[in-house]
Amino acid sequence: MLMHVIDMGHDVYKANDKVAEKNKKKLDKYQVFSVNVMGAIGSGKTTLIEEVIRQLKDKYKIAVIAGDVIAEMDSSRFRKLDVPTIPVNTGKECHLDAKLVEKALDEIDLNNTDLLLIENVGNLICPVDFKLGEHLRVVIVSVTEGDDIILKHPMIFKTSDLAVINKVDIAHAVDVDAEKMRDDILSLNPNVPVILTSKHDWESLETWISFIELGVKESQNR
Amino acid sequence: MHEFSIACEIFEQVMTTAKEHGATEVKHVTLQMGRLSHTNPEQLSFCFKVLSEESIAENADFIVEMIPPSLECECGYTGTVDEEKIRENCEFKSELLAYAAVMECPICGKPAQITGGRELIIKSIEIETEDQN
Ligand SMILES: [Zn+2]
Repeated sequence: MLMHVIDMGHDVYKANDKVAEKNKKKLDKYQVFSVNVMGAIGSGKTTLIEEVIRQLKDKYKIAVIAGDVIAEMDSSRFRKLDVPTIPVNTGKECHLDAKLVEKALDEIDLNNTDLLLIENVGNLICPVDFKLGEHLRVVIVSVTEGDDIILKHPMIFKTSDLAVINKVDIAHAVDVDAEKMRDDILSLNPNVPVILTSKHDWESLETWISFIELGVKESQNR
Repeated sequence: MHEFSIACEIFEQVMTTAKEHGATEVKHVTLQMGRLSHTNPEQLSFCFKVLSEESIAENADFIVEMIPPSLECECGYTGTVDEEKIRENCEFKSELLAYAAVMECPICGKPAQITGGRELIIKSIEIETEDQN
């Protein structure tokens, strides 16, 4: 019997990042702007994505990847809006990863896509470790999650390009200060844009939608 | 929890490398885990145990070395987070929350860039092979 130590140095997350880079290159080639929408169950991810689709689908060609643990509930909501939707069921998993997105991209007509919206699986922890190849990482958090939710999940706020605080119209009812939530986000990530939204406030939704549209325009000019 | 899928990836990588080197048994698997990665060492170890049942890695020791977060600041500071210091100052906070608080630059106080502490590396394996003679 002989004993050997074999150095491997295989970084599991970097292996995912490599596939993500490949996805991004592919999306760049087709000038598709991609958005990874992360957030807990009930934060309003689906509703905010639906609003983007409603407002922008006549201007741009939109496709959706809807990540879900098992059900196809969300993807059917997007399909009702007449946009190509790929449901990705992760089974037991709590997040989308680059390989799942790579597979989903094969099913999307990228020549006919300007904007790819990716709804991640609902939680604030697992999606953080897995890049997908997206251009914009968005975290959506709702006031109903309580005002300590941000400091409890620092990494997702540290690593996002945009933060949305949703359902601010009911902040008072749930005894939460949305401004404190904004301050907490900025204390973790001072340069991240923070948008306060509510589905009953058109102006706030417009800010959210125009942020996405800006990204689409930029990638088309690239 | 994504320990199961991570464990699957580790198991596959370990088995591939072990077989390439003609292993008859995997004795140790050594992992380096960043404190800021959202992975739990005990759960990962448990998932690996389950996956490796009836394989040559069945009895492998699963060793996890934790890597502290490292920071870089625009003021020029670079360094790792002093874990000892955190523990004594922040007993009442969860470990992660404590880390968040110290991700500020210790020199100028601005939030610093995280440059390390999120990795999950299969560092090495120790294997047994048949004696060629
Ligand atoms: Zn500094």
